[in-house]
Amino acid sequence: MITLYGNDRSRATRNVWMLEELGVEYERNMVDHTKGEAKKDDFLKINPGAKVPALTDGDVVMFESLAINLYLAMTYGKGGLWPDDAAGQAACGQWTMFSATEVEPHTVGALIELIFKPEAVRDEAVAQACLAKLPPVLNVLETTLSDRDYLGGNSFTAADLNVACVVNSLNMIGFDFTPYPKMTAWVKACVARQG
Amino acid sequence: MIKLYGSLVSRATRNLWMLEELGLDYEHVSLDWAKQENRSAAYLAINPAGKVPTLADGDATLSESLGINLYLAQKYGQGGLWPDDDAGRARCVQWSFWAGAELEPLAYGRIREFLFKKEPDRDQTLINDMAEQTGPLLDLMTLALDDNGFLAGDTFTVADLNVACVMEYLDRSGFDISGWPKVETWYKTTYGRSANQKIQDQRAPIAAEMMKRLQG
Repeated sequence: MITLYGNDRSRATRNVWMLEELGVEYERNMVDHTKGEAKKDDFLKINPGAKVPALTDGDVVMFESLAINLYLAMTYGKGGLWPDDAAGQAACGQWTMFSATEVEPHTVGALIELIFKPEAVRDEAVAQACLAKLPPVLNVLETTLSDRDYLGGNSFTAADLNVACVVNSLNMIGFDFTPYPKMTAWVKACVARQG
Repeated sequence: MIKLYGSLVSRATRNLWMLEELGLDYEHVSLDWAKQENRSAAYLAINPAGKVPTLADGDATLSESLGINLYLAQKYGQGGLWPDDDAGRARCVQWSFWAGAELEPLAYGRIREFLFKKEPDRDQTLINDMAEQTGPLLDLMTLALDDNGFLAGDTFTVADLNVACVMEYLDRSGFDISGWPKVETWYKTTYGRSANQKIQDQRAPIAAEMMKRLQG
């Protein structure tokens, strides 16, 4: 049985999305990182790094939310969320890494300063610096989506899920999506699948 | 024929190392960013962001250095750099993302401070903060290496390659990892593999010239 550790205030939500897409059975362990539960011994046995989400699946024990999604797709989504062809698989790996290294540092940086931190210690300048890094990155998505419906081609794959879950987080801070019409339509179509 | 775009003083070295490990035939297309060769129309058609490296392999064209290595391992390293078992594969993906998302921001941050800036311009507060955040990452690696000496199992895999090629930045910026002896031993063995040595030997004179320009 697959167990996903982390509650809905963590990046575990992106793994829930993947698990639901795949239709596999799983259970949740609602470790609450906001109450220090990720630093308790029980959880440290799963991830000594004390971060949620983490996932166990038989003898598989892993962390890193986007990596978990790739693992799940390649294990349970063959021919679907994990395409059969090399080009499609390449797209899944590339776009997931792009999401983790090019997009998320800036989205998370902005979210921390604009909504996650207590108001008294927020730093608007840091948030704006993060947001200023986004246009060239989002333009890569806009350009890519100008001639296709999904990042890897004609169908929804792990590439789309792993980028959309990060880009969509910008809705929490009222980000202006109007310069990116293709990307906006794509994010909406992806997120609508979550139901 | 596989083509890899990007010079020896770029993240392309990570992929050249992987290609050498796999013993694949490939063509290395070095792009000189000082001459803006990464902004040519021909290259932008392959990578619209103008970033290096990019790999072209038949129908597959992809960027993101660590993603390229995962792709190459999956396609050409089955049972070797890409393990046969689910647990091993999960760890390969996990550590590759950990390298990109957790380690690289800190390690590359040091490169920016120590190699790209002259001493009076360095941000000592940032350097100290980054050092403080790096410790727990090396603690975590120590625990992972305790089990078996490699990150994803009993043998060298793409997990080790992808973490070591990022840890290179700690090394080059003079971060002392001797307080984490398991990590230090692992790094020396991994980074010193002959496939990487071959690429580093090619890189050395070009890098020395670049450093002269940056620090001169």
